[in-house]
Amino acid sequence: MTAQARIIEATELSKTFPGGVVALDRFTLSVGRGEVVVVIGPSGSGKSTFLRCLNGLEEVDRGTVVIDGIPLDHHRKNRLLIRREVGMVFQSFNLFPHMTVRENIDLAQVRVRRKSRAEAAETTMGLLRKVDIQEKADRYPHELSGGQQQRVAIARALAMNPKVMLFDEATSALDPEMIGEVLEVMRTLAAEGMTMVVVTHEMGFAREAGDRIVFMEAGRIVEEGETERFFGSPRQERTKVFLRQIL
Amino acid sequence: MNAFSRGSAPLRKAAWIDYGRFLLLVGVAVWLLALGTRGLGYPWQWYRVPPFLFSADNGIWTAGPLLRGLAVTLQISLLSLVGSLLFGLTAALLRLSSSFSARALARGYLELIRNTPLLIQIFFVYFVLSPVLDIGAFASATLALSLFEGAYAAEILRAGIVSLHRGQWEAAHSLGLGTFDTYRHVILPQAVRRVLPPLAGQAISLVKDSALVSTIAIYDLTMQGQKIVAETFLAFEIWFTVAAIYLVMTFGLSFLVRGLEKRMNGAPLRGAGGFG
Repeated sequence: MTAQARIIEATELSKTFPGGVVALDRFTLSVGRGEVVVVIGPSGSGKSTFLRCLNGLEEVDRGTVVIDGIPLDHHRKNRLLIRREVGMVFQSFNLFPHMTVRENIDLAQVRVRRKSRAEAAETTMGLLRKVDIQEKADRYPHELSGGQQQRVAIARALAMNPKVMLFDEATSALDPEMIGEVLEVMRTLAAEGMTMVVVTHEMGFAREAGDRIVFMEAGRIVEEGETERFFGSPRQERTKVFLRQIL
Repeated sequence: MNAFSRGSAPLRKAAWIDYGRFLLLVGVAVWLLALGTRGLGYPWQWYRVPPFLFSADNGIWTAGPLLRGLAVTLQISLLSLVGSLLFGLTAALLRLSSSFSARALARGYLELIRNTPLLIQIFFVYFVLSPVLDIGAFASATLALSLFEGAYAAEILRAGIVSLHRGQWEAAHSLGLGTFDTYRHVILPQAVRRVLPPLAGQAISLVKDSALVSTIAIYDLTMQGQKIVAETFLAFEIWFTVAAIYLVMTFGLSFLVRGLEKRMNGAPLRGAGGFG
């Protein structure tokens, strides 16, 4: 893989939380354009922290993150530039409850991308059709089901036309019957060639949509590999144990 | 009302008993008041009060001193309300900022204002600051009230801001919104809605506290009342009237805020920040 092809380059990331919990321990990972990387691992292994370090929601103690050639450093400008290019979907949706679905998706287009209201509205309606929720455009988040809210949150992130999408346990807070509709949207995105880093417990999705699986524990990579190889013939004993537990 | 329209017979009966108790309470209060006034032996002269409110000459209505005082009180209260929200918002944001000097500045302001009497602050602004700033009594009063109520508004707003789920900040930041846009479009609209009731309480305090500006020779409602009482000795009638006017103002304010709360309720408070 050439350097140009790598859109995410995270090198030697270390992070220890104030309580002394080591979230990342010289963690290195790069992601190619259009690649779908699924990060799995037991809870507390640093998966979410890793994602949150990629767009600066969390500060690393050491190490470097470069997204599409832009270093995530202490320059505010770079940080904002990176956040424009990196969309994020949260476990708890985090929609803005005082805005309608439409307003949620319009906001950053108008304020950050400086689009006109009309342009933004057009993009918004297109995205709502894409996630199949156009009839709820003028509803407030609390009037929607969890699955619908998460689909709106995905549309909101996509409205920035990001180069990378991060999914932080996007289906973990959903009732079982709603997980499918959200995974469906994520599968479509993957098929369209979106670069994605997905933290999830959904092994079905990982197998089907993931190009590469990263198994981490205690802030380090235990094993990584192409999806088929990873599930078919895991090399590490720890990986085998983990897969037996969850499959 | 619901107790009458719905519910079983025993529930309805309980409601009637409750209303009966309330009437009894009111009756006792009126009786005590009547007893007190008779015992006082005060010569009530209510008929002399209306001219101080307004006078009608050949069909032309002119405001009396009390209503003119009311206009001044309303003016000062309204301007101070705007001022206190500005000071309050600024202080709240400074306290939440990451800069040490900004936090220290806000902290100093809050401690200084909240730990000294308003009356002294009014004197200080009027006698010490106003010659320096070259402002009159009215501006001094407005500035002092704004600074005072602003300190309390700041703490209310700060509480509203920190009560929001962290996910709201993260969602805004992950979309590339800067601090200003995040506050303006995401954080403040939610925070203000949450703290509207205590903010309204603060506004009502402001209206009442504005009575203290009468000490620096501003002819507000209280000052006019004082002057009339000094000239006519109608102490009870005038002070009751003045109190009633304040009551009407603060009640009006409460209604206004309740209406505002209802209007803002398009999206209720619950569900803020993801999990219900």
